Amino acid sequence: MIVFEDVTKVYEPNITALEHVSLTIDKGEFVFLVGPSGSGKSTMMRLLLKELEPTSGRIIVGGRELARLKRSKVPMLRRNLGCVFQDFKLLPNRTAFENVAYALKVQGEPKRSIRTKVPEVLGLVGLSAKMSHMPDELSGGEQQRVSIARAFVNHPPLLICDEPTGNLDPDTSVGIMQLLYRINRTGTTVVMATHDREMVDKMRRRVIALENGVVMRDERRGGYG
Amino acid sequence: MRTRLFFSEAFRSIQSNLSTAIAATLTVLIGMFLLGLFIALGTWVLSYTNDVKRQLIVNVYFCTDASCPNKKEASEGQIEAVRAQLTAMPEVKSVKFVSKEDALEIMRKRSPELVENLVSNPLPPSYQVIPNRGEDVRTIAQRLEPPPGGVEKVNYGEKEAGRVLQVAKVVGGIFVVGSVILIIASVLLIANTIRLSIFARRREVEVMKLVGATNWFVRGPFMLEGLVTGLVGSLLAVVLLLMSKEIALPAIIQRTDLTNDEVQALAFPLIALIMIGTSLVVGAIGSGITLRRFLKI
Repeated sequence: MIVFEDVTKVYEPNITALEHVSLTIDKGEFVFLVGPSGSGKSTMMRLLLKELEPTSGRIIVGGRELARLKRSKVPMLRRNLGCVFQDFKLLPNRTAFENVAYALKVQGEPKRSIRTKVPEVLGLVGLSAKMSHMPDELSGGEQQRVSIARAFVNHPPLLICDEPTGNLDPDTSVGIMQLLYRINRTGTTVVMATHDREMVDKMRRRVIALENGVVMRDERRGGYG
Repeated sequence: MRTRLFFSEAFRSIQSNLSTAIAATLTVLIGMFLLGLFIALGTWVLSYTNDVKRQLIVNVYFCTDASCPNKKEASEGQIEAVRAQLTAMPEVKSVKFVSKEDALEIMRKRSPELVENLVSNPLPPSYQVIPNRGEDVRTIAQRLEPPPGGVEKVNYGEKEAGRVLQVAKVVGGIFVVGSVILIIASVLLIANTIRLSIFARRREVEVMKLVGATNWFVRGPFMLEGLVTGLVGSLLAVVLLLMSKEIALPAIIQRTDLTNDEVQALAFPLIALIMIGTSLVVGAIGSGITLRRFLKI
């Protein structure tokens, strides 16, 4: 699903965010990316989204090499990747329904299928009752659920989560994790950057630990470390 | 399908950012009103100076038995020779012959008391030479220097002509510089307002890009919004300008004697068209260009 081949990313002028990172993530895996702030987790996420270009090395996502992908094809890439962020990144003046619908609208989905798909996915995240609420009328956990619904509505093969529970209390985080776990069980590869030690230890999934841009540890059923 | 989506996206964004949209519309209104006013005023002044310039002519007076040193009247051959010389000049538009009798008639009309007691007609025959451009009177006069046979003197109202031409030049210059400054200023003002409104929503643009919107999908509604803002603002400006033309202008004109039909500002529909066109272009292109840097995600 994802291949990093000797990837190095240097921010101008000379801050090295990732150094010779090589790893492979298979289809259907659930992977935690752990490490202190500044260890390069977010840089990896942004490289996957082609928000950034690596300084050297190759990145392959879903069989396509990102460096070879034309700028005009980047939207296509992103439609096949769900993204969930720490700060939710919802459109503030749209309801929960419209936020999820926007992800479908951008790819020209017909209205009729939007009207069936959006309630379906909002039901999956447990927000059937709050579809017409604005983001500021929802709690943090609910906003994150909307953003997960938006990421998942296309049923992308890969879900990228950048500290999705970073702004949430432990109980709410458990709910979000369960949701991500369920999504993973449908066959979606989930890559999640996190600081949440307890969560990582409890889930016992593959853990990739980064430090100063270097992969320190890559364990099949690891803990936070 | 896509256009309908653009429209609905543009209108929802106007709705949810109503105060910014109103501010932008008012900016367009002010900018375009000033532009329209300046174009109308400027073209009117230009037309006025052109009219004054049109009144600049060269008078070529022929000798009479009393005027020239040799006391000899200009012969018909001499008069014809001068006409040929004049019509050959590229600067000359037309040449009109004023005979002794015509001259007397004109004089009689202008000041009858002077003509009353005349025993004979002392006025010389002359040519009224109308130049293509007011500026050419001097050149034409100089080409008749020294005066050909039978010509007593050539007159083009040197002092007045010089002053009129200078004023016309200054006025024209002020108009050109002023309208360029005004166009730049209103374009910048409008572009800046659009920039601010987009800047306030750059996060929104980022989110759109991250869920896989193409650049045009983000840009389309924004540009449409700019277009609508430009259209509404300039239409209001046209209405305002029309009102001031219909209400304020007659009141001003009554107090002056500027009722010459030859002097006209640029036609109102044309001014309106310029105003609307400018604001549409600035609105749409301005939004599109401003968005560029936020789309690089």
